[in-house]
Amino acid sequence: MNKLKIMVLDDEPIVCKRLKPALEKQGYEVDTFTQSSDAMEQIKNVEYDVIITDLKMKGIDGMQLLTEAKQRSPKTEVIVITGFATMETAKESFHKGVFDFIAKPFKLSEIQEVVSRAEAKIRGE
Amino acid sequence: MRILFAGDEHPYSEYALKETVKLAMNTWADVTLLGISQATNPVEDTQVGKALRGYRDTFLNSWSREDSPYIQGEGKYEWVPVKTGVVEEMKVLMGRKKDFKVRLRSGSPAREILTESQEDGSDLIVLGCAKGAKCEWANSLPAPQQVVDDADCSVLLVKEQQPVTRIVACLDQGYISQESLEMINQMITIYNARLDLIGLSQNGDMEKSVYTRLIEIGDYYNDRQVEINTRLMDISDFEQLIAQEIKQDLLALWLGKKSLLSRFFSRGWVGRFVSKCPTSVLVMR
Repeated sequence: MNKLKIMVLDDEPIVCKRLKPALEKQGYEVDTFTQSSDAMEQIKNVEYDVIITDLKMKGIDGMQLLTEAKQRSPKTEVIVITGFATMETAKESFHKGVFDFIAKPFKLSEIQEVVSRAEAKIRGE
Repeated sequence: MRILFAGDEHPYSEYALKETVKLAMNTWADVTLLGISQATNPVEDTQVGKALRGYRDTFLNSWSREDSPYIQGEGKYEWVPVKTGVVEEMKVLMGRKKDFKVRLRSGSPAREILTESQEDGSDLIVLGCAKGAKCEWANSLPAPQQVVDDADCSVLLVKEQQPVTRIVACLDQGYISQESLEMINQMITIYNARLDLIGLSQNGDMEKSVYTRLIEIGDYYNDRQVEINTRLMDISDFEQLIAQEIKQDLLALWLGKKSLLSRFFSRGWVGRFVSKCPTSVLVMR
């Protein structure tokens, strides 16, 4: 079975630093980005199974990345993580086809569990 | 995010529930509503049980059906442990997008709240308390203070229904957790509040690590276009600040091993300050 390919985008390096080893431990291949422009370039070249993205970032925000990612690859599952959550952003995320919306702070196990659910969906379990 | 609301049948718990609804509306957190019964069999405690059912209705009815992440989906059979080594197949109603549970536990309120928060992996405990200097639950139970003192996660202690226009965060140590910063971010967003960051010093001296952290936090919020006002204060003036300046504010305190407040004040200072504060308090870990 192919390893799931995951992108993590958060402008706070500590979030990427926490998530990468935790997800790799679960057997996933993980690329991390702290600049949304770099992540946007990357999704033009690489098709990810799962994208975990922050919302509020300088330049391109997470909502723009979500829109672009879903347009390019509708089967990519996007998980939004945000430190500045509002009902509007939660609703908008789901309207745009987000797999889950998680407000910070969260436990690593919470993200791991959501990614496992996304994997089950992707693999059609 | 996982939120644990702990309440009883008294009005202060209704205020705390309203804050829980507000938090859940923004964060779409997984939520547990917990009641504590003094009875050995919690189901026999009709007062707390009735209150919890009311809270459940209030919570779920706060959303329109199409906007709610908590609307119950179809029932699904799952194996549920009933005692050690025994599971039973039960039909469980799953939340559509986020978990929502209502629970009753029996025993000492503080102990049961803390146990539930550990078992559930809560990120935030929300509970109310009677207004006034004692910060208690009814029947003179010091549960709120004990929870604030001993919880592993952050605690929002709701004093009364009131607008929050400012968050006053007091920094007294160099180390603060990423989770605590994120909790402040959510509070700023939910209340649309500005942030006052107070760096606490002792006799005019401030540890270099605290000063550095103060600047880093200021930069962090400036980068995120959050209005922040930073100032310094001597720790001996801190009680006066709580008594005189805190009005429509949420007081946010960091609790950590290297806390200057912990060194300056005797044991139990958190409970004392939380009691003195006329408004709601967020204790962060």
